[in-house]
Amino acid sequence: MIRRLGSALILLVFLIGAVGLALAAGDGNARKGKYLYRKNCRTCHIDGGSAKSLSPIDKTQAKWDEAFKNIEKMPCKDKWSALSEKDIQDMYAYLWGHAFDSPSPAKCE
Amino acid sequence: MKLTGAAAAGAAVGGQSRILHALVSKTAGNSKARIERKFSVCDMCFNKCGLIAKVDPYGVVKKLDPNPKFLKSRGMLCARGNAGIKQLYDPDRLKYPLLRQGERGQGRWQRLTWDQALDHAAEKLQRIAEKYTRCGVLFMAGTDLQSTFVHRFANVFGSYNVISHESNCLLSLNRAFLDTFGEIPIPDMLNCKYVIMAGANRFEALVTPDSIDLMTAMQNGCKLVVLDPRFTKTAALANEWFPIRPGTDMAFFLAVAHVLVAEKLYDPRFVAEKTFGIEQLSAHVNPYTPEWAEKECEIPAGDIRRLARELAAAAPTAMVYPGRRSSDYENSTQIRRAFAIVNALLGNWDRPGGLTAARKIGIKSVPYDPPFYEKNPEKRIDADRSLMMFEEEGSFKHARDAVIEGKPYPVKGFFTYKTNPMQTGANRSKTIEMIHTLDFMLTVDIAMSDTAWMADIVLPAPSNFEREDPVSALQGSSACACMVMRDPVVPAMFESRPVFWIVTELSKRLGLGEYFNYSMADYRKKQLEELPDAMDALLKDGVYYNPGKLYGVYEGKVFKTLSKKIELYNQRYADAGIDPLPVYEPPKQVPEGKFRIVVGRNAYITQGSSTNNELLHELLPENALWIHPKPAGRLGIKPGDTVAVASKVGKGILKAHVTQETRPDTVYMDSGYGALSKGLTLVYARGACIADILEDYSDKISGNMAMHQTMVTVRKIT
Repeated sequence: MIRRLGSALILLVFLIGAVGLALAAGDGNARKGKYLYRKNCRTCHIDGGSAKSLSPIDKTQAKWDEAFKNIEKMPCKDKWSALSEKDIQDMYAYLWGHAFDSPSPAKCE
Repeated sequence: MKLTGAAAAGAAVGGQSRILHALVSKTAGNSKARIERKFSVCDMCFNKCGLIAKVDPYGVVKKLDPNPKFLKSRGMLCARGNAGIKQLYDPDRLKYPLLRQGERGQGRWQRLTWDQALDHAAEKLQRIAEKYTRCGVLFMAGTDLQSTFVHRFANVFGSYNVISHESNCLLSLNRAFLDTFGEIPIPDMLNCKYVIMAGANRFEALVTPDSIDLMTAMQNGCKLVVLDPRFTKTAALANEWFPIRPGTDMAFFLAVAHVLVAEKLYDPRFVAEKTFGIEQLSAHVNPYTPEWAEKECEIPAGDIRRLARELAAAAPTAMVYPGRRSSDYENSTQIRRAFAIVNALLGNWDRPGGLTAARKIGIKSVPYDPPFYEKNPEKRIDADRSLMMFEEEGSFKHARDAVIEGKPYPVKGFFTYKTNPMQTGANRSKTIEMIHTLDFMLTVDIAMSDTAWMADIVLPAPSNFEREDPVSALQGSSACACMVMRDPVVPAMFESRPVFWIVTELSKRLGLGEYFNYSMADYRKKQLEELPDAMDALLKDGVYYNPGKLYGVYEGKVFKTLSKKIELYNQRYADAGIDPLPVYEPPKQVPEGKFRIVVGRNAYITQGSSTNNELLHELLPENALWIHPKPAGRLGIKPGDTVAVASKVGKGILKAHVTQETRPDTVYMDSGYGALSKGLTLVYARGACIADILEDYSDKISGNMAMHQTMVTVRKIT
């Protein structure tokens, strides 16, 4: 029982660690993230595209946190698997850093 | 590069024949019917008021009239707007591309063909990109309808070192209101019943519709209280004027907040539902009593208390006017936070006569996907020099320092479009120093501004009456939310070419042509994709309105802040180590024998872009130093004497205007004079330039320039 609890704890620590890594905005390059977002996401998330038009200001920082914690629940999760951890960090830095309630909300372009 | 066939060096500026007389002297006889009326948009300041140009059969613009359907200016065009005709027919206009000969700023130029100029510029930009990375080019564009193309070009070229003029103007104000309300509000002056205006001069430094609406509101009984060290025209027309000690506005508004809180004069329901941090604010303003503030701002405590009560009685149709230019102190963001907090206590948000939200107009952005350049440094050149800079605006002050220092990386190119930091950026000697560190500087403008004068290549842009511009959205408070565009009223004169064409041509030469492979018509079509009626309205009326809701737009919606409410207490500031509530810091005392210098403008001028206008120049050929009779007498200065004004960084020589309309400890001068450029024949060496005298302090939070912290000596020149 103790061992199982221990394993669960290790797993939990690992998961928190992994999420923490993916969600540390300071570690990502927001400029690269903007480019990657345009290249990978805006192909579909655009007016007239196959998915809902999306920009950083469509979510609050908390909502972006939530979205990035639940990548595996997204309909496009397969596309995400092609991205590196660094790419995801960069996109997070861009989207989170220019969210609806951020100090620098994204301008439309 | 070969420059065969180019005109001789030394041509092109200063002392040109006044060839434009030939152009405008013909008349169309007595046939009024043959006068064509064409819509356009004014370019004499940032307001962009709609107008109608009357064009005679010879294709000459004879007169400018207001567009009665343009509601943002309430169907009017100001005197400065009328003078726009002389911006079009200005003999000092740039006529063809020029290449610098001799030293920078020496004024020796060689005429180039467009191909030569563009080949040369592209080669220089490419060389900088290869040697220093693409961020080695700094871009700066003014408030122009085509500036968006300069930004796009910078992005495509690969530099994110793009700065706007705004960091010499209003970014601390924007920072403060964004960080309080989650957006930058639009004041509804027309329906307001009580306005406190601190440091803004809305009856001279015109903003449409604010200036007109305030006048109308006052006719309808609105009370105006002005706090200004100077007796401006706005002060003259106000119900009450207080010559506040400069730099103490925060003390005044903290004391107002103290009264509102202590006497429970705010709307408790609004504050409970819509704001965050009333407990912290109440504790914070407790020591800031009117009696305390009186000692700081030299406004009697009884008056502060009375004004606070009057404001509260008029609320929510009462406001502290947010202002516009806020480039004054190192703590300007916090000063403006105090303005914002009092507004929040008045409960005037999203209500008639209060602060309203920007409205959606419906212009679609035109997406593009610039390449990513892996070799670029990660951060902007001006990063980490202020606590919360706007990434997309930057900071002229910090970018300039960084270029001079070469840190964190070298920047060796400078591309400017219709902006004049040589006139507006405090400490001109530093701007000159920065320019001297560059490998290449390119300026696109209508006239040979002081900034153009320092450039290596100067490219002539057409005036607003000679070009096609994209559709642009304007916020007009209760008047409207609208859009405008420009088509040529007359063909472009000389060899002038719009910056849209210039960056398109440069892109082709840099192998980036695919990013500028559209016409203005294509671009506009994309902008108006979701508004099928808009183009017809623009062509028929010169303006298109989107009749959205003005008040109550936040009902059921959250604020764009961390707490989702109006942040009296700013949580993000607390996290970043910034005072979450504005903490008063007294301004520097004026040393014995010195003065604080403050700057501004009157209704005739828009900084350096209009002082060389022939019609406006007649009204105010040069600026003068406003000085109070007491110190003037002590210094032996009589009206009209020539005086030298000196700071730690520079000096200006101009005439004295001895007047009781400024405080004895404060001198004032207008911006836009003392030009270095001999290409501005009317204003060259006339009066003094503010940038020559002002020391370059900056707002700690936004990186906005701080222009009211310079102490000067004044002496008579015999």
